[in-house]
Amino acid sequence: MRKRLRPLLVPALAVLSAFIVGSLFLLFTDIKHIGMLTTDPVGAFTGALGNIIDAYGALIVGAFGDPKRFSTALQSGDIHDWTIAFRPMSETLVAATPLMFTGLAIAVSFRSGVFNIGGDGQFVLGALGATVVALMFRGMPAPITLVAALAGGIVFGAVWGFIPGFLKARTGAHEVITTIMLNYVALQIVQLALRNDFLRQSTSSQPISKVLDFVRVPQLIPFLGLRLHWGFIVALLVAALVSWFLFKTTKGFELRSAGLNLTAARYAGMSAGGSIILAMVVSGALAGLGGAFQVMGSVTQMSNDVNSGYGWTAIALALLGGTRPGGVVAAALLFGALNNGGHGMQVASGVPLDLLVFIQALVIMFVAAPDLVRKIYRLRQPAIESGAPAAEGAPA
Amino acid sequence: MTASAAPANVAPVALSEGHRRAQRAARIRGVIFAALGVMGLSFASGTMSHDVTFRFWLQQQGGDAWEFHAMAGVIWIIAALITGIGGILQLWRGASVSWRRWMALAMPFWIAAIIGTLLAGKPAVLTNLFAGSLEYAFPIAMGAFAAMICERSGMLNIAIEGKFLLGACVASIAASVTGLVIVGPIVAALVGVGVGWLMTWLAIRHRVDQIIVGTVVNFGALGVTNFMYLRVLQLNTNLNTPPTVEAIKIPLLSDIPVLGPILFSGTPYLYLALVTMVVLTYMLFRTRWGLRLRASGEYPQAAGTVGVDVIKIRYRAMMLAGALAGFAGSYLSLHSAGSFQINMSAGKGFIAIAAMIFGGWNPIGAFGAALVFGFSDATQTLLSSLGVDVPPQILTSVPYLVTIVVVAGLVGRVRGPAMAGQPYEQS
Repeated sequence: MRKRLRPLLVPALAVLSAFIVGSLFLLFTDIKHIGMLTTDPVGAFTGALGNIIDAYGALIVGAFGDPKRFSTALQSGDIHDWTIAFRPMSETLVAATPLMFTGLAIAVSFRSGVFNIGGDGQFVLGALGATVVALMFRGMPAPITLVAALAGGIVFGAVWGFIPGFLKARTGAHEVITTIMLNYVALQIVQLALRNDFLRQSTSSQPISKVLDFVRVPQLIPFLGLRLHWGFIVALLVAALVSWFLFKTTKGFELRSAGLNLTAARYAGMSAGGSIILAMVVSGALAGLGGAFQVMGSVTQMSNDVNSGYGWTAIALALLGGTRPGGVVAAALLFGALNNGGHGMQVASGVPLDLLVFIQALVIMFVAAPDLVRKIYRLRQPAIESGAPAAEGAPA
Repeated sequence: MTASAAPANVAPVALSEGHRRAQRAARIRGVIFAALGVMGLSFASGTMSHDVTFRFWLQQQGGDAWEFHAMAGVIWIIAALITGIGGILQLWRGASVSWRRWMALAMPFWIAAIIGTLLAGKPAVLTNLFAGSLEYAFPIAMGAFAAMICERSGMLNIAIEGKFLLGACVASIAASVTGLVIVGPIVAALVGVGVGWLMTWLAIRHRVDQIIVGTVVNFGALGVTNFMYLRVLQLNTNLNTPPTVEAIKIPLLSDIPVLGPILFSGTPYLYLALVTMVVLTYMLFRTRWGLRLRASGEYPQAAGTVGVDVIKIRYRAMMLAGALAGFAGSYLSLHSAGSFQINMSAGKGFIAIAAMIFGGWNPIGAFGAALVFGFSDATQTLLSSLGVDVPPQILTSVPYLVTIVVVAGLVGRVRGPAMAGQPYEQS
């Protein structure tokens, strides 16, 4: 048992450390209590500490629900009360869904030794592709439209992944630079597309698309009226599929070999260029599918801000999950809870949601530097063979 | 500057292969150039009656002006002819034609023709356009210098964006608190040094991949500055109302007609960028420091063998780059904005990296590239102020697309330091 939990120790401590640093940051920006420091130091300190406890408490309640609501629901048995009690959890899973797709996308690319920083662009273009196809298929039976729109999302995302993959394979253009540039181009494409009357909601002054109410991804628990949709289940299935693809198929083996040592893979007769392109296409397709589910499941229409940095968070997820699909899913659930709980925190205690962006950056830092975490907590350095997972996160 | 470490026996094969490729590339370029020439001529036929007026201020804003009149069609014909001749020469003589010169010659005419056509008869003040390009170019050029110093020393630094944001935020606070504008850039540069040290420490001491370190800084800076704005600055506006950096006219030089108002009437930032460009060029290519810096980026093992402390050089390079990037960040909040706003760098840090690559890891080239990007920004401002209806997204995308084309080597391949991004283990 202890042996099995061992690999979880460093990620768990990384998250803990990130929260501790985050609370220090809260402490130092608490202007009101810092001002009280000279007149009433004890009151200032307890007040500031109370603030932090309130904020993190609101975060947890926002992410998992309020126990009081659950007891009310148990007593009354009313379906409406159950909906209210379960809503935070549903929202956490809704927030985790796009992260699972982009996290898997980045994990596939990292495993293959390709640094796909373009998850953002692939995600928004996937959302755009789904919107365009859905509007083109408008009037067809809903299931056909839905499948076509999801395919549209996959294709758009895959194309946006193919471009940097192809350029890297054929000309050696560094994928970090090209994917970052393509992120910006994708945003401009979306803005340009939303000026078009075919997509644009004519009654709104904002650049948003027509409402896609004719191709909703069905809700998972219809009678509760929660936002949680089948995209979440698909994300879990896709994670299993990615795991099978990476670890049980020949192509997956080639991708992983290319990720570990491109030169060795080439000498073994594998096509280096081919695996770079394949990795980027699969990666883009996964991110694009996430975008499609986002626009037809979690929100109802395409807009500029359909994506809130999912591609960047995905890098954190891929590292935190050790680039294993199962780990990425777990990390996505954690970050989904953080993001969703953050909204609760912002409303209840006035602490801006952006604190969590900072905390997520710290999580990446601590996970990427495991020996730093071990040093802080005075853990023993691992034996050579168990040091492998940390090295896997960083492509050559 | 180039490490020619290729074994001698493969050289002739590689040469003929390279030669064949160059000939093919020249043919492709020739066809594209010729096609552009034909396209230009077809535009010319439709715009012969278009009047174009470009105006330059002689001494100062709104004073006497020097005006240039032409038909848009004529400019199109000149642009088309230069491009077409360049294309035909390349098809005929192959790779021996220096096509960059032809492109550089044709480019201004293309831009003038396109702007002239879009303006549709309205006069355009080019002094403002050029001065605006220089101003917009400043943070991009400075960021490019910062990224260049890092890459030359062997460190990949994609965190220019994050340092811009941090610099802008702390500069605004520091200048507001003290009421002295000079304090802002200094504090911003110091914070940049700190971030540069942290990045190097993580990358070298804890062997974190350099791209991940950069991502952490970009992501963390966004979170920290957004958080600071929402939690502190929004509620205490006295912390976010810094004095702004004013333009300084350089005596004598600013009296030169036409050039004076463009080059010598800007803010100190502009002059500092020009000075940095010159000093950095000298430092990189003419001093011992520069030689050692470049050696640690190209072949750190060799540098280490002759006794150069590669690790120390990389630390110092990252800290210097942090200072430059943080300083450039202060421009965002202390220049015309006069306050810090959420995510105000808006991707300029990544454009800076693009400018570095576009400029071939060379200060003068990077400044030129930054000017191109600045020009695209300034053109957008000009067109929108004159009410010309061009979707801004198309112009905004140009720098990104140009960068991809350059990085992919579709237009003249550029080559960076060989070992940038590779960790170095001292043995």
